[in-house]
Amino acid sequence: MSTYITKRILYMIIILFAASFLIFCLYALTPGDFITGNIKLTPERKAELREIYGLNKPVVERYAIWMKNAFHGDFGYSLSQQKPVLTLFNQYIWNSFLLAIVSTFLTWLIAVVVGVIAAYKQYSWFDTIVMVALFAAMSIPSFFIGLFLIKIMAVDWKWLPPGGMLTTGSTATGFAYVKEVVHHMMLPVMVMTLLGVGSLTRYFRSNMIDVIKQDYIRTARAKGLKERKVLFTHALRNALLPAITLVGFELPALFGGSLIIEKIFNWPGIGQLYMQSFGLRDYPLLMGFTLFIAILTVIGTLVSDILYHVADPRVRL
Amino acid sequence: MKKRIVTLSTAILATSLLLAACGNNANDNAGAGNSANANQPAGNNPANTAANDGAAADPASGASGLVVASDMSKLPDVAKQRTDTIIVGLTDPSGAFTPYFQQSGYDGNVSGLLYTPLIKVDDKGLPTPGLAEKWEVSADNLTYTYHLRKDLKFSDGTPLTADDVAFTWTILYDKSYDGDSLVNTLNVKGGDAYKAGTATSVSGIKVIDPQTISVTLEKPNASALTVLGSDVLSKAYYGKDYKQGQLDYMKKLSGSPLGTGPYKLEKFIPGQEVRMVANENYFDGKPKTEHFIYKTAQGDTWQYLETGEVDYASFSATKENIDKLKAMGFVNILPYTPSNYGYLQLNLKHPALQDKLVRQALTYGLDRQSIYVDAAQGAGQIANIPSSLISWSYTEDGINPYKFDPEKAKQLLDQAGWKTGADGIREKDGKKLTIHYLGSKKPETDVFIAVAKEDFEALGIKFEPEVFADFNALVSKVEGGDYDMAAFSTSLLTDPADGLLQFIDGEIPGYDDPAFKELYAKGLATSNIDERKAVYKDIYKLLNDQLPVIFTSYKKNVYAYNGRIQNLSVSPFNGIAPSLPSWSLSQ
Repeated sequence: MSTYITKRILYMIIILFAASFLIFCLYALTPGDFITGNIKLTPERKAELREIYGLNKPVVERYAIWMKNAFHGDFGYSLSQQKPVLTLFNQYIWNSFLLAIVSTFLTWLIAVVVGVIAAYKQYSWFDTIVMVALFAAMSIPSFFIGLFLIKIMAVDWKWLPPGGMLTTGSTATGFAYVKEVVHHMMLPVMVMTLLGVGSLTRYFRSNMIDVIKQDYIRTARAKGLKERKVLFTHALRNALLPAITLVGFELPALFGGSLIIEKIFNWPGIGQLYMQSFGLRDYPLLMGFTLFIAILTVIGTLVSDILYHVADPRVRL
Repeated sequence: MKKRIVTLSTAILATSLLLAACGNNANDNAGAGNSANANQPAGNNPANTAANDGAAADPASGASGLVVASDMSKLPDVAKQRTDTIIVGLTDPSGAFTPYFQQSGYDGNVSGLLYTPLIKVDDKGLPTPGLAEKWEVSADNLTYTYHLRKDLKFSDGTPLTADDVAFTWTILYDKSYDGDSLVNTLNVKGGDAYKAGTATSVSGIKVIDPQTISVTLEKPNASALTVLGSDVLSKAYYGKDYKQGQLDYMKKLSGSPLGTGPYKLEKFIPGQEVRMVANENYFDGKPKTEHFIYKTAQGDTWQYLETGEVDYASFSATKENIDKLKAMGFVNILPYTPSNYGYLQLNLKHPALQDKLVRQALTYGLDRQSIYVDAAQGAGQIANIPSSLISWSYTEDGINPYKFDPEKAKQLLDQAGWKTGADGIREKDGKKLTIHYLGSKKPETDVFIAVAKEDFEALGIKFEPEVFADFNALVSKVEGGDYDMAAFSTSLLTDPADGLLQFIDGEIPGYDDPAFKELYAKGLATSNIDERKAVYKDIYKLLNDQLPVIFTSYKKNVYAYNGRIQNLSVSPFNGIAPSLPSWSLSQ
């Protein structure tokens, strides 16, 4: 086990190096840089600023400088926001994380429960209704459903706030603050859950259907075990195994923010920040964030491999 | 999850134009200007709404085109509950609130309230007193002397003197200064030596007494008065760690501004709000409304205005938008024209476009009325000179309007020697006349391409459009030189010279006209407005004839604000900052 992990970590480092170089080149080759878009500047001043920011150096040299700083824990300084990149991550990522963790939890909960029931009662009216509803939920574009809910719930009925994370100007603290945030996150969480729940439910349903047909389920039933025990202890555990791979992929998504949802609901998350920075070619922030997601992805796959081992004794590492 | 990764990449492709430098005018264009000059007292019953459009215009409101809220009873409770707070939406302030040391125009909007310039400009762009109560310009137009008001204070109560002004100008000449202030382009005497590190102060800046400061330039520049007459940084606060050539420390102070504006920063919540509180040390008296909040509003601002979460928002003046705003009932609608102009940059390095006749033919042959006015629902206005519509220098006298005239265009092309070839495309010396057009992805670009393709092909010109996902990509392609025509708009202009800068500083490669250069220098050589007016008139006539770029249009927008706000006005050059201290909430 420990030799396996050492080996994996070694691979991870190599992969991350390659990824960092790729990320750097990708951004360095995107047309335009931070200075290009500022129409107020004269060509002379543009040249001066490129000199100050080091944007006129060759790509390889810039990469080397960037990596050197990254190893010292310095991911650079956002040009447009005038703050260290890590400070900005800290200010924005947790907001995205809050939305993602709640909606992911709800998505999985609903998907497992509904998936299991739908599989157990395959082709029943419940199953049919659920499948139709899921397809509908999967096919609606997120911006449409988002704006639609804002129109209905916030503008017309005034039940929920139309966006943001706090009531503007609010000085709430403690429990009142929590209540306010919960109130504001209802709409975005609703939309995110609705969009995510479709594919996951179908995934669990089909896994469950496969497992229910296995011999060991028949054996369990033949032994006279209660149906509930058969379903939730024997069948569900085996049906969940392949989902562990998904857990690994969830990790970057938890911190990566959601561009469209955050934009529609004016949520102060990292996805929005990334989007603006892209338009402005704020390279330090873009590279820092992309690398951060790369690191999380690599860690996520490692975690899911280890989880496999924990959950399923047949998997040897 | 997979789904989210997919949406991420599509959203990147769909990135719309993000104009960092353009501050609050990113969402502009089009509209029904003064289609409605109706005026009604606030707080009326809904039955009057329909009559509004036909009602005779009140002369007072007719001038500004203000449409007053028709039914204040529709005001949402959320807004009613606020008694000492005004909330305005702002796309994306980033938290860098030190003037001169910020990169985003949105931060500029915030610091515009936290600081007061030495000299403000009025609605025509003419200088009026700010922190400086008066100023003098020497006879040779080289030395500017500013006289500060008495007893000026920063928001923490410390006094503001000429030393602070000198400090502010000096650090802008530091070699590590990386902002986009124009002060360091003014050639203040001794500025270069300071930048090079061979002098320890800028010799042209002289503190005469605590209330008086003068600055001497190497060559006259009439825009210097307002460019230098900008915000003042406290030397005691911003200068305590300053060493020549080392301005890095300023970044640490960007989140804790110390200013002289009507408001001071209370709290910045990243991605959410900038909370401000009235500054009791403001030279013109403490503002009437205690709290002011800029709320970050990334996407659509409609829902926030509709639910009363913001009190003020800006929209493009399309008929559709105006109708929707009128239907809300509780907002006043104020039309305005941003102080910039749109143009099509032409690649003057290409032989065909070097010919003035061809450039004129392109202008005559392009139906600008359809593209910029009609497609934009009625309003908008055609531009023919490099000046903003609201500037004191704007004129139509002696200016060729280049009314859409395909016959005239064909005639000019014939005259220039471009003859129609066998395939219907004009050629000269074996070369075909093609226009490779670059635009950035937005609805207006689609309209332009549709109309221009038809118009140019009717003239026998091959039109090849190319659209870019975002503005940065477009600019870098233009800088690469592989284009014939590209759509741009200037940033917001204050002095008439600002709108001409691009013809002088090499931004439009291939344009080099001694007559223009002479006039440009003449326009900056005097501070007398009447003399300058005459010079700019000549310049506009010249450029209107030469057409180094094709002038296209002015945008028309509207501000919509909660009908409870009293005394609101918007300066075309400084936005809400000048009138904000006197805003108050009725009821």
